[in-house]
Amino acid sequence: MDITFVLPAQCISYIISLTTPRDASRLSLACPAFKSTADSDSVWEKFLPSDYKEIISNSSSISASSLMITSLSKKDLYFYLCHNPILINNHTTSFSLVQETGKKCYMVGARVLSIAWGDSPQYWNWLSLREFRFPEVVKLREVWWFEIIARIETRILSFKTNYAAYLVFKFVKSRQGFDARPIEFDVYFEGSNNHKRRSALLDPPTNVSPQLSQDRGDGWTEIEMGDFFNENGDDGTVVCRLCEPGSVQKRGIITQGIELRPKYGK
Amino acid sequence: MSEVDMAVIKPEMMKSYIWLQTADGSIQQVEQEVAMFCPLICQEVIQKGMGSSKNYAISLPQRVNPAMLSLILDYCRFHQVPGSSNKERKSFDEKFIRMDTKRLCELTSAADSLQLKPLVDLTSRALARIIEGKTPEEIREIFHLPDDLTEEEKLEPLKNTTDDPRIRLLNRLYAKKRKELKEREKLKNVESEEERVDERSVDDLLQFINGGERDSKGTKSSKNKKKNQRKKDQLKDTCPIESIKTDKQESNGLNFVCHSAEVGNKFSTDLGETSNMQNMEDGIFVRKVDFDDVDIDDEIDPALKEKLDREVEDFARRLNSDWPERMQEILSLGHDMKPLRHSTKGNGTIRRYAKDQIRSGNDFVPSDQPNGWNNFDQMLTEGVCGIYRSSKGTKFLQASLALLSKLVPACLEGKFSSFKH
Repeated sequence: MDITFVLPAQCISYIISLTTPRDASRLSLACPAFKSTADSDSVWEKFLPSDYKEIISNSSSISASSLMITSLSKKDLYFYLCHNPILINNHTTSFSLVQETGKKCYMVGARVLSIAWGDSPQYWNWLSLREFRFPEVVKLREVWWFEIIARIETRILSFKTNYAAYLVFKFVKSRQGFDARPIEFDVYFEGSNNHKRRSALLDPPTNVSPQLSQDRGDGWTEIEMGDFFNENGDDGTVVCRLCEPGSVQKRGIITQGIELRPKYGK
Repeated sequence: MSEVDMAVIKPEMMKSYIWLQTADGSIQQVEQEVAMFCPLICQEVIQKGMGSSKNYAISLPQRVNPAMLSLILDYCRFHQVPGSSNKERKSFDEKFIRMDTKRLCELTSAADSLQLKPLVDLTSRALARIIEGKTPEEIREIFHLPDDLTEEEKLEPLKNTTDDPRIRLLNRLYAKKRKELKEREKLKNVESEEERVDERSVDDLLQFINGGERDSKGTKSSKNKKKNQRKKDQLKDTCPIESIKTDKQESNGLNFVCHSAEVGNKFSTDLGETSNMQNMEDGIFVRKVDFDDVDIDDEIDPALKEKLDREVEDFARRLNSDWPERMQEILSLGHDMKPLRHSTKGNGTIRRYAKDQIRSGNDFVPSDQPNGWNNFDQMLTEGVCGIYRSSKGTKFLQASLALLSKLVPACLEGKFSSFKH
């Protein structure tokens, strides 16, 4: 039995769209008939998030977005979005996909974080360097009350997904204040009282474990702030907050943003 | 009549039946409420009034054979009963789809033709679960698919987006195998081939590249045409099926490639930023198409000839690796290219492209000839290579490409004098 004689192409494409992107890529190696179906737009469009067109049109670069939607095949678009975060919301937030599952991944850039004293140049400075993902990152000059908050709507995140929030930062050589006092992290739905707080040192001395900060591989470090389960996007706004109330003077941290991405396996 | 007899006359006697005919001609009658569960049958009954008698039996689509029909009717019979709970339905469904893969496929097809969406969903999900996690060989086994991708297609380099060292190794092996395949093909053609030596001097090459006034169309001689055709054939034989076959198609292919390359480039340079490199490439592109059948009988000194020969072979091998996958690579290269977007140097962009292609293990096998040509940025060549892959032209052209790719960065970096030969 040749499956392509038994099943019409639209059935095959429906079945493939019920598998994973990885399986679809594998299937294209099985036989020529599968190849054309497994690489087709009808399959890969289902792997992209359902509102991908909206998100891309909201991107900061109009020419890119229309180019992406019209000239790339859906499969190419999928892989493109997996490896090239696009900037949306006027260059303030970045959007990308997780390759394995096609779930959405956002990074809220420094400009739209709520940073205590962030607008006072004696405390925080804004830097622009071309290699950065966002037009601006923020650098701490000195502050006692260290507080950063990100807010994001759960309805724009992928449903039925466990998300974790990560602070993306790096230190300058002359940093201080982050090695002795732990930062409090809190990730919760706005208006709820269910807070699962945690705390960690951002800059622990090398012999102290646990070393919770992870190198992201692009020159930045990240630390997990907390996680939450997004059921149907109807939990309102999720608040990701970190705070160190001011016992010690802190200096020398550069923050790119706070990233929300799916987290698997606890 | 006794009471028992009266009780025997049950309401079922009053049930109405629909007549269905399958493609093989056999006709059967089915309880109306069961059959009406299928949207297609429902449509036929209501809109066309069919099915009420044997003569007006509803003809079912060809994909519904009697065996499948009976399965589908079992499904409908259970599900159209209003009383069952979700749990009961689920448990029925799980038992229902326990059948071999072939029947599952037939059932999906039959249910689809009857527009019975819940059953299509059920069977499709079952098939998806079967497919998940299997390798292509296993899939071919399960579905009894012919293994008819060509050797070349199977040896396409894997997309190594996660920079997995195993994939890198696999791609290297594939590249080696492809090379072997090509050698084999070459041996087959060797009697009918004379090795064409590119005998142009370096200065001539330079002049050509700088837009010398050679009129390609005018100097086409039949001898050259034949040689060029043979060259093309040789290269063609070892290319994957989807490769572009004719000159005309090549030009179109080139244009497409140019556009796609631009698209790819655009993405990485954050759109709107046109690098010098791109403009130069576009110019080169056009010239290449024009000079496809150029005369190649010029003089060249033997030392350079040796060098060129070696480089050109290397180039030809690289150029012959699969194009669409390269394009995919270029378009999907991402995680390695993050700082790229804001790079101002045009050649920097291409270098990164090329570097990343290497890093991602895309069939790069470094050539080990120690000469001046290898001093230049081999990785640069890879990137340029990928974009100009469809040139299956003469050795001369390939040599000029190699030269070009050295020239361009040299130009951009103001080191043109370093190329004095």
